[in-house]
Amino acid sequence: MNIFLREMKAHRKSLIIWSVGIVLLITSGMGEYSAVSSSGKTMNELVESMPRSIKAIMGVGTLDLSKASGYYGILFLYVSLIGAIHAVMTGCNIIAKEERDKTSEFLLVKPVSRKSIITSKLLATLVNLMIINTVTLVSSIYITGYYGKGEKMTGDIITLMMGLFLLQLLFMTIGTAIAAINRKPTKSIGLSTGILMFSFLLSIVIDMNGKIEPLKYLTPFKYFEAKNIMYGGGLDLFYVLISIGIATVLSVFTYCFYQQRDINV
Amino acid sequence: MNVIEIKNLTKFYGKARGIKDVSFNVEEGEIFGFIGPNGAGKSTTIRTLLSLIYPTSGSATIFGKDCIKFSPEIKKEIGYLPSEVFYYDNMKVMDLLNYSASFYKKDCTQRIQELAKRLNLDLTKKIDDLSLGNKKKVGIVQGLLHSPKLIILDEPTSGLDPLMQQIFFDLLEEENKKGATILFSSHILSEVQRLCDRVAIIKDGQIIKVEKISTLQENTYKKFKIQCASKVDKKHFDMVGVNDLEENDNVISFIFKGDINTIMKKIAEIEITNLWVVEPDLEEIFMHYYEKEE
Repeated sequence: MNIFLREMKAHRKSLIIWSVGIVLLITSGMGEYSAVSSSGKTMNELVESMPRSIKAIMGVGTLDLSKASGYYGILFLYVSLIGAIHAVMTGCNIIAKEERDKTSEFLLVKPVSRKSIITSKLLATLVNLMIINTVTLVSSIYITGYYGKGEKMTGDIITLMMGLFLLQLLFMTIGTAIAAINRKPTKSIGLSTGILMFSFLLSIVIDMNGKIEPLKYLTPFKYFEAKNIMYGGGLDLFYVLISIGIATVLSVFTYCFYQQRDINV
Repeated sequence: MNVIEIKNLTKFYGKARGIKDVSFNVEEGEIFGFIGPNGAGKSTTIRTLLSLIYPTSGSATIFGKDCIKFSPEIKKEIGYLPSEVFYYDNMKVMDLLNYSASFYKKDCTQRIQELAKRLNLDLTKKIDDLSLGNKKKVGIVQGLLHSPKLIILDEPTSGLDPLMQQIFFDLLEEENKKGATILFSSHILSEVQRLCDRVAIIKDGQIIKVEKISTLQENTYKKFKIQCASKVDKKHFDMVGVNDLEENDNVISFIFKGDINTIMKKIAEIEITNLWVVEPDLEEIFMHYYEKEE
């Protein structure tokens, strides 16, 4: 319990910064929608004239940009990117930092097992992710409500946030597993953000080029896309199960590898 | 009873040697010195005992329990001070010590205050703002606040001024009198000589010798300095067991190893005005052990 509380305290500042970042992203994103929608020219025509690759980068897909919900759907791609970065970095850091800051020689000579250290740290990360998720949920509902001209989106947003949470969970365990396996803390952080950027770019490349569609299983960013989830689409049970499965396996990896390896001091 | 028992402990980092076949015991209530130059394997041995790293082969027990398998349980009674102390920078000293105390299921508030007062440590400062010596003090309080039965120190005196070292040694001796066993690793011989009952000498990852400090000093060398009434040829003392023979005016000095009676007879043959027989310090003995191995 003491390690959990210590971690919550240590992450307080970064949690506030990330939350503010997400709220700002949603506010400015939806603010742009209000500017575009009031300019008369319909957004859909503009997007229609764009080449496929630009549309892919923007994450437009089949979303209807004349509606606030469609606009929010695009924004969701970037919100989930931020959520994933936060998750992978927090997950990786919370384990690697003891070795990076050389505090491992303090913590690991205390009468606690490595298993319980990992449990406390995973729990603290999980609570951090939930807070980010809740902040995103509340600010999304509030801000889209403000710009939405009465369009009902709360249900869709809640479903999107469930998808976001699974994405966060996945990237958190990617981060913790890498930090648990790797003895070099700086390498771990580089590797986990590298994996994140790779999977994000892969998801965009898949959108640009339909031929590599089967690769979509490799990138979690393809698991929960706004264009599939919104307007009654819901979460794809297959991807939900894959996500939970991978996160479970990676958590087990985190415990096992951290238990077995030499700690760097 | 042995508090620490190390049996054929070996650790390789990949192909690089850490320690090889290290075996020794530390008995309850003693202050055990562990000396050797940098990189000899002192820290590797200690980190294996604390299960920060795992041995390649061999085993060790603390309080009769395997140090890897029962690690969390054993650590309730261990206080550890590493050579370089690193703590969470943005914490205050008091918060860190309370955090440290929260791992032991006893109230340590009073002990923290006591120790801080003895060491003249400001509890309200941030760890960030502390000098090396003051960080070390935090380390000492952190290692002793739960009154552990076994205190493990890895080159603990670096960064402490002589006055603080004195206080620190006093603290250790008090803990020892209360029943704590101490494993004291160092490359500074005089401090080991001062504190320890027995000592293990390690070199290139292997134990060269485990010996009582007193035997180590008795069995080997005596330093002689003889002031003669008149000039004496220094060849008079040219015999087996005499080393480093020097003559300066009427003063002859040398280091002797062997039967003390033979040298006394030799001295009796000449007219002397003064005689000094001195215990060599550990440094000289230590060098002797190292040279022999090479």
